[in-house]
Amino acid sequence: MRVAIPALLLFSLLIPSGAPAQNRVVAATLDNGLRVLLLEDARSPIVSFQVWYRVGSRDEHRGATGIAHFLEHLMFKGTPTHGARQFARLVEENGGQDNAFTSQDVTSYYVNIAADKVDLVIDLEADRMQNLLLDAKEIGSEREVVIEERRTRTEDDPGGFLGEEVSSIAFKAHPYGAPIIGWMEDIKRITPEEIRAFYKTYYVPNNALVVAVGAFKANELLEKIKRRFGRIPRGKVPPPMLAVEPPQNGERRVTVTKQAQLPIVYLAWHVPNQKSDDAAALELLSTILAGGRASRLYRDLVYQRQLALEAGGDYSYFSIDPNLFWFWATPMPGQTPEKLEAELIAHMERLKTEPVTDEELARAKNQMEAAFVYQEDSIHQRASMLARFELIGGFALKESFVAKIRAVTAADLTRVARTWFGPDKKSVGVLLPKS
Amino acid sequence: MTRYLSTLGAAVLASGIAWAPAGAAPIAHREVLPNGIVLLVAERPAVPIVAVRVYMRAGSIYDPPDQAGLANLTGAVLTRGTAKRTGPELDSAIEFVGASLQAGASRDGLSVSLTAQKKDMTLGLDLLSEVVLTPAFPEVEVTRKVAEIQAAIKRSEEDPNTVAARALSRLIFQGHPYGLPIEGTRETVGRLTRDGVVKFYRERARPDATIVAVVGAVTVDEARREVMARLGSWARPTTPAPSAPTATSAGASREETIKRELSQATIMFGRQAIGQTDPEYFPLSVASYVLGGGSASRLYTRVREESGLAYSVYSWVSPWRHGASFAVSAQTRTVEVPKVVGMIREELARMAREPVADRELALAKQYLIGSFPLRLDTSGKVADFLVAIEERGVGLDYADRYKERIGKVTAADVQRVAAKFFPPQSFDLVIVGDAK
Repeated sequence: MRVAIPALLLFSLLIPSGAPAQNRVVAATLDNGLRVLLLEDARSPIVSFQVWYRVGSRDEHRGATGIAHFLEHLMFKGTPTHGARQFARLVEENGGQDNAFTSQDVTSYYVNIAADKVDLVIDLEADRMQNLLLDAKEIGSEREVVIEERRTRTEDDPGGFLGEEVSSIAFKAHPYGAPIIGWMEDIKRITPEEIRAFYKTYYVPNNALVVAVGAFKANELLEKIKRRFGRIPRGKVPPPMLAVEPPQNGERRVTVTKQAQLPIVYLAWHVPNQKSDDAAALELLSTILAGGRASRLYRDLVYQRQLALEAGGDYSYFSIDPNLFWFWATPMPGQTPEKLEAELIAHMERLKTEPVTDEELARAKNQMEAAFVYQEDSIHQRASMLARFELIGGFALKESFVAKIRAVTAADLTRVARTWFGPDKKSVGVLLPKS
Repeated sequence: MTRYLSTLGAAVLASGIAWAPAGAAPIAHREVLPNGIVLLVAERPAVPIVAVRVYMRAGSIYDPPDQAGLANLTGAVLTRGTAKRTGPELDSAIEFVGASLQAGASRDGLSVSLTAQKKDMTLGLDLLSEVVLTPAFPEVEVTRKVAEIQAAIKRSEEDPNTVAARALSRLIFQGHPYGLPIEGTRETVGRLTRDGVVKFYRERARPDATIVAVVGAVTVDEARREVMARLGSWARPTTPAPSAPTATSAGASREETIKRELSQATIMFGRQAIGQTDPEYFPLSVASYVLGGGSASRLYTRVREESGLAYSVYSWVSPWRHGASFAVSAQTRTVEVPKVVGMIREELARMAREPVADRELALAKQYLIGSFPLRLDTSGKVADFLVAIEERGVGLDYADRYKERIGKVTAADVQRVAAKFFPPQSFDLVIVGDAK
C-alpha cells in the first residue's frame, strides 16, 4: 500500500508457519543473482506473486530518511513501456489486488491474482525492477502524498508519534532510530537525483527475492521467470550497512504532550535478533507476556486490576540487526503513566526471579505452533513467511523454527530476562494528553 | 495498491460480501436444523483447521433507544463466564491449545467466532456452545466491561476517522438505530446493567434467529453431528422473532464540523443507499468503484495522483440488513479542505452528468468480478461470507448472480444510479479537524 508499516505493527505479523510435508519449495538463483522461491498450492485458482528487495529504512542516511518508502510509492508510477499509473490499472483490469510495504529491513511488493494472469505480473514486476521512470513531476506530486501519509500515521496519531520518539532515543548510531516513513524535513527535501541513485543501487536482481505460492507448475513458472527477469543485468553489490549500535549506558526517557484522550507508556529494551541463541526464548517471552487474554499483562493489568485499557509487548524475531523489545500500556482513566510504567517493570522483574509455570510455557508454545498452522490457510501468508525466513538466512530455517521454540525451558526465560532487561538498558516514552 | 486499511478499509472489506466462487459446486451445504438454526458447511480439507461462526440476529439495531451499547456490552461479556467456567478459565482453556474464541456485536448481529486446529475442534465447540447456551454474565464482569468500554469510547475520540464515521452515521440514519454508535456513548453505557444484558440475551438470542457456519477440515456429516450434539437442544421460543425497523430516508442533508487540533482534516460525505436485494445495487457497486473504489478510480487519480492532496481517498457502499449507506472520505491538510470538498462534489456530479468511459467501466466490472476468489482465500473469510449471504437472504448462488449482474451493467445504468444516488446536495458532510 505504499505504506510504511510502523515497527510495532510489523512485529505482530511475524509468527511463522510450517509447510505440510508434501509441499516442496522450488528454489533457484538466476545467473543475475535473483533469488526465486516457488511453492505449488492449487487449492484455489489464484497466485500470490511477491517481489522483496533487501532494502529498507535501515539503508538510509541521516538527511535522507524515508527515501526507501518514498521510492516504494514511486514504483507504481510507470515505466516507458507501462506508462504513468498503468500498473494499478492493469492489475485491477485483470481482477488482481496489489500493494506494497516498506519496513526497516525490506521493501515488498505483491500481487494476488487469478493464476492464469501470472504472465502479466511477471512482466510488470520485471519491468519496474529495471525501467522505472522516476519523472520529476510525478515525484513532486507524490511527495505531497507521502507528507499526507506521515500526517495520518505520525503527526496526528498519538501512538505513532510516541513510537517514533522512543525509537529515536533508543538508537544513537543505528538507522533503526529513524522512522520508516522518514522525518518530515527529509521527505520535503529529498531530490529526484537521490531517489534515482537509490533505485539504481538497491533495485538490482542480485538484491531481490521473488516468491510465489499458488496454482501453477513450479518448473513452468520458473522458466517464465528466467525468461523475463533473466534479461535484467546483475548490478553492483549494494553497499553494506556498517553501523553497529553501541551498548546503552543508562536509561533514556522522552515525554511528549499531544492532543489525545489517554496517556500512553512505551518501554523498549535492546535485544538480540534471531542469530542469537536467546531469540526463541525472547519470542516465547513476548507470547507469555502479551499473547492473548490469558497472557500476564492482559490478565493482570487489563483484566484483574483494570489499570490499563490495553497492555502488550512485542519482539521482532526477524529483524536483520538487533532491535528493540517493546512494551506498551494505555492507562485507564484515573490511572497514571507512572503507575503503568512501574507495573510493566514489575512484570519484567518477576520474570527474572520466578520461573514461569509449566502451564504458561506449554500454552505459549502451543499458541505459536497453532499460529504456524493457521498461516498455511492463506497463500499470501505462506509466500510472505517463506520470504521472511529466506531474508534471515534461508527458507529452510522455517522448518526448524518450531523445534527451537519447543526446546525453550523456564530456566531459559529467567536467564534471558536477566540478561537483556536491565534497568539502565531501557528507553521510556510517555505521552501526556494536552489539557 | 496503496489501500489504507483503516476502520474505513474494514468497512470496504465487509461489503466484500459481494464475492464468492462461481460456476463450480455450490459454495456450501445449507440446511435448517429442527430448532430453526440455519447450518452452513463448507469443506476445505487441505489445512487442518476449522473456523466456526455462530451469528445471532441480536445486534445493536435492537438496543432500546436509551440503552445504546447494550448489544455490544452483551457481546463483550458473553465470553466472560458460563454456568461451568469463569472468564479466565475459558481464556486459559481455549488459549492452551492455541485456539481463539471471540464474541462481539455488529449493527445487525451478535457473533461468536471460533478458530481452532482440527484436533482441538471438540474442545472448541464445547466451549463455544457453553458460551452460547449458558452464559453467566457475572455482575463483576459486567461492571468491568462497562468501565473498559467507556474508556475505549473516550480513547476513540482521538481518532478522527472514528469520530467522523460516528457523526456521519448519526446524520445519515437520524431517527433509526443505525444512527447510534454500536458501542453506545459513555453516558448510555453507564446506564447499562446486568439485568438489561440478561434480558436482552434471553429475548434476542434464539435458535430460529441464528446462523451457524462451519468451514475447514470437516465434512458436512461431521459438522451436522457436532453442531446438533451441542446446539440441537436449544429450544425455539413459541413467540415470533422480533423485527427491526427499516431505515427510511432522513430529511435534508446537513454539514457538521468537529474541531480537533490536528494537522490533517478528515472529510466524510455520506447518504443512505441500497443493499444487495435491490437490483440497482449492482450498477451502484460499479459506479462507486469507478468514482472511488480503487487505485485507478476518478477520485484517487484526481485527488491523490494528480494533485497530491491526500494519501487516503475512497468511496464505498455499506449494505446492512435494514438499510445501507454510500460514503466518500478523504484526509487532507487543513488548508486544502475546500479544494478537496469541491473536487469530491464535482466528481459526484460528473458521474450523473456524463456516461463513464468504456475503459473505466470495463476495469470496474473486471475487477469486481475477477477479484472475488481473492476475498475468500481463508476458512475464516469463507465463514464470514456464508453468514453474510444467509443473513441478507441473497441465496447460495449469489456469487454466480453477482457476476452475471455486474457483467451486464452498462454505462447508462451507471449514469442512472449516479443520478439517483450521487447528487452532491443529497449528502451529509462531516469534517473533523482544525477548521480555521
